[in-house]
Amino acid sequence: MEEPVDTATAILASAAVLLRERSFDDISYRALADEVGISERTIYRQYPTRAHLLAALSNWLEQTCFPLAPFVTVSDFCAAVHERFRAFDASPAYAYVGARASAISPTLDTEQAYITRAIEAMLDVSAPTLNRRDRRRVSASLRYFSSAMFWARLRTGFDLDADEICDAFDRAVGTVLARLPHTTWAEPIAGRPGVTWAEP
Amino acid sequence: MTEPAAVPALSGTQGAILAAYAELIEELGSDDVSYRVIARRAGIAERTVFRNYPTRVDLLLATAAWIEATLFAREESHSIFDIPLAIRDAMQRYDARPELAHVVAETAMRGVSGAAPSPGRAQLERLLDAEVPSLDAAQRRAVIAALSHLDSVGTWVTFHREFGMDRRDIADAAGWAAEAVLDSIRDRVTPA
Repeated sequence: MEEPVDTATAILASAAVLLRERSFDDISYRALADEVGISERTIYRQYPTRAHLLAALSNWLEQTCFPLAPFVTVSDFCAAVHERFRAFDASPAYAYVGARASAISPTLDTEQAYITRAIEAMLDVSAPTLNRRDRRRVSASLRYFSSAMFWARLRTGFDLDADEICDAFDRAVGTVLARLPHTTWAEPIAGRPGVTWAEP
Repeated sequence: MTEPAAVPALSGTQGAILAAYAELIEELGSDDVSYRVIARRAGIAERTVFRNYPTRVDLLLATAAWIEATLFAREESHSIFDIPLAIRDAMQRYDARPELAHVVAETAMRGVSGAAPSPGRAQLERLLDAEVPSLDAAQRRAVIAALSHLDSVGTWVTFHREFGMDRRDIADAAGWAAEAVLDSIRDRVTPA
């Protein structure tokens, strides 16, 4: 990780260090202040509630630890998500912070996540004639199956590792895309995941 | 508020505490509610709240479980192919209580120290095994995982936040995705 440049970032970097040994709930503002070497008050000024801290920490971890590879095609999208799930598996404490932050009541003017915009752009290019409602259904489904929440649910609730989670993801994506007529796609999707499985 | 009859392990006092906290979350958000305020709302002493729920995490997890079992309780499905209907209904309930929906979604994303993220898993497995027993292990796991993911409050949160969808659109998209998952097994039911 790079050297933090400002107080707000220094707080997040220290929180990330503390996350290696304890859960987010066990990181008090007091301990965080000691770790950064500033007053507790300064932390409250930056992050008035723990929800603010969680949201900011998640954004920062996402940028520094879980960058998403750019994608234009469906197969590149799947590859980028696989890479992400593997990175989550390697740093589960950080990934759970991301999953939690995406579930809380938004603190600030939360904008759409980058991956959401990228999925919408992918469909604009790959399926230009698809009607609006189906486009939203597909993008919402793909977004939700590619989320940190999906990884967290399958890891905690099903005890799956990254390979198994990637497999479940591919099959879910396959079933969603299989709902659309073949003529939907501007170019045939090579190696569309899950389709061979969907046809017994 | 519904009587917390669906959570039999709770005492009357505990039910009153959880119902009071759930009310206050809707009014103030989950961050700003003190034990003193919860006690006053439940009409009991503050130390009684502490005795039942020594930490805020204990209290929050118990409240999330209570909300799932009461306010977000659903009719039992009798077929795996009824699950999309249950999902549509559930999305409507989440939409009516957005603050509580966020709390339940978040507590399920805390890993092993949080709430169980797939409470309906055993039920889905039972239905699938009874109706479509011919799936191999990976297929079965994928169907259960995908339906379990869609049949959760995380769906409402994500569709609401990331896509700005309203109640109807969320119910539609979640039900549609669940039907997509079922497409792969629709005609593989074992004849009765």
